[in-house]
Amino acid sequence: MGALLDFARGPLFRLTFAIMVLGLARLLFLDIIGMYRAYRRTTDKKMPWKLIFSRSFEWFFPVKRVIRERHVYSLLSIVFHIGLIIVPLFFFAHVNLWKEAVGISWPALPYSWAFWLTICTIASALFLLISRLTVKAMRALSLGRDYLWLLLLLVPFVTGFICANVDVGPGSYQVLMLVHVLSAELIFVLIPFSKIAHCVLAPLSQVVCALAWKFPPETDDDICTTLNKKGAPV
Amino acid sequence: MKTTILTEEERKKALSTTKKPEVVERQKLNVRYHVEDIDVNDRPRRFLEAFAAILKHSNYKMVLDHFIRMTARCLRCAAACQIYQATGDPKDIPCYRSGLLLDVYRRHFTLGGLLRGRITGNGYLTDEKIQEMADTFWNCTACRRCALECPLGLDHGLITHLGRYILSEIGIVPRALVVSTRAQLEGPFKNTSAIPVPALKDTLEFLEGDMFEEKGVRIRFPVDVDGSEHVFFPAVSDYLMEAESLMGIAAVFTATGDSWTIGTGYYDGINYGLFYSDRIIERVVRKVDEETNRLHGRKILIGECGHASRTAKQFIPTYCGGSDATPVVNILEYTHRVWKEGRLKLDPDIVTEKVAYHDPCNYARNRWIVNQPREVLKAFCRNYVEMTPTGEDNICCGGGGGTVSIDEVRPYRTTIGGKLKADQIRKSGCEILVAPCANCKKQLRELVEDQGLNCRVVGFHDLIYKAIIFDESLRVEKEAQVIEKEK
Repeated sequence: MGALLDFARGPLFRLTFAIMVLGLARLLFLDIIGMYRAYRRTTDKKMPWKLIFSRSFEWFFPVKRVIRERHVYSLLSIVFHIGLIIVPLFFFAHVNLWKEAVGISWPALPYSWAFWLTICTIASALFLLISRLTVKAMRALSLGRDYLWLLLLLVPFVTGFICANVDVGPGSYQVLMLVHVLSAELIFVLIPFSKIAHCVLAPLSQVVCALAWKFPPETDDDICTTLNKKGAPV
Repeated sequence: MKTTILTEEERKKALSTTKKPEVVERQKLNVRYHVEDIDVNDRPRRFLEAFAAILKHSNYKMVLDHFIRMTARCLRCAAACQIYQATGDPKDIPCYRSGLLLDVYRRHFTLGGLLRGRITGNGYLTDEKIQEMADTFWNCTACRRCALECPLGLDHGLITHLGRYILSEIGIVPRALVVSTRAQLEGPFKNTSAIPVPALKDTLEFLEGDMFEEKGVRIRFPVDVDGSEHVFFPAVSDYLMEAESLMGIAAVFTATGDSWTIGTGYYDGINYGLFYSDRIIERVVRKVDEETNRLHGRKILIGECGHASRTAKQFIPTYCGGSDATPVVNILEYTHRVWKEGRLKLDPDIVTEKVAYHDPCNYARNRWIVNQPREVLKAFCRNYVEMTPTGEDNICCGGGGGTVSIDEVRPYRTTIGGKLKADQIRKSGCEILVAPCANCKKQLRELVEDQGLNCRVVGFHDLIYKAIIFDESLRVEKEAQVIEKEK
């Protein structure tokens, strides 16, 4: 068990992390290539940068929008996102892990902060899950994978919380820790192939949309020819 | 701001249709709007062909690829959508609507989707799915308010626009819009309302006479003046329905002395392409540019019309020369500028009623024209009130996205589409509602009538016309007026 845990925390961690980073880099690369191609095809090269930045920043610090509509849901979503980013990066055990695996380190979060943040994350994830299950419109919109993602994200948080705070005996501790590490690694691997890719793609959305409204010129002929409609009445 | 879900009775009224069952049967399409008879065979294949052709010759692939990788179905857009708020039907949630098209793209145009489809043998585009898209894409008013509420920045308006474009290529498009566009591009009179040049000139002359009588100033509509600074393109329906707005605009130009002209070669600002086809946008926009060049105009001036202004502002550079394209100005921008320069004087004692300003989505959503008309209105309307939410977050009149031109969906527009707007107007308690957009004006008047609201819908320049003060030098003496009349 100990050897397996070491393997999961060492080589497997590095491998899955690399898959995530490369996968996300691939998506970014594809996105940027797509934007470059689109930009080259347009005649109107003037981009509304001011609007793009201001809209993007509205969502990096989502105060303005969130206080207007669906307050509880939106606030808990933000807490959930903060927890998802901060705890894996700044909990002291994780800081050590990053130091061993990647070779860089940074200051850790005080223990009590990590404790409360984990609780808040778990609670908000449960709330999101319950609202997906109970609100009629959300249920109609949700797919199976939306529920599964919330459950999957809960696993490392719950197991990690138990490992760090409850004395469960060494045997159970190792099993829980293994589940904790493996589930986190599964998440790493899945991120670039799922909706969680929004962690790197979302900041580009405003640029993508602004660019998409700049249609390439003289497509009328091409489309009519392709569809065999040349000279047809409107 | 929220509205309540409509009652059973209202729902029945809103969703009623004048379509005959045999037409629905023949066209194999159950939608509220009328459609011209089309080829009904093999619809899914033709839809996919059109989709493929459009993807090949456009930039939509980039945006679809971007969004299929990350849609999270968080439901924030539902809070912003006035249609969903009124119907409570999950199918009206913007994200669900966009999802319909994104699913088709995922299934038929990505490797993963094709493989998964092959293995599971399902997910293929069907007639039912096309029917659902044809219905839901035209329920949307294309106000793009949901795009502001999407944390991931998904522009549902753009996806709806693409969906309508593809549908139009297989013939599924409201008849009202196609017929107008046909008249505009291929008809003898080259405009959507089929107004011939002599009738236009008559109307202008008649209005000139009216204005002379009312104001004692010779206010002209210059026609075909070569080398004017502004070439004017209003929504052509204004010549039939919004005489006061046009008179206000002419009065402003008379007061400032700037040059402007109406071209008889082409005088329609309307561009229904924005609502259903990029190809049409391009054809119409080129005509506006050609006419401006013919008259050697230096600026394209668009009248009180939201979609005409947005299409010109956005697509003249796109289709007619990029940064070298002729600049586009909206009449509100012009009036605000000359007022700020002190060249336009307005009497603050004329308009005493409670006035509110409605932001047309196509002006305000991208923060283009928000404060300019307000500054002017506040300066001469003593009793100005603001409706909330406002500016870029404004609530759509409920007739956007071309639906206002589809007369058969009026019950839908005034019961569902404009329900939230009606609540907002009622709450503001305004007596005069200023709506500087031909679409909004028509829809709001119908809304006021059908919902029993107690206010009058006018254009921005209607009020300017009332309150404008002319320089004494422009005034023609009483005796001269009489002589003029006798002539």
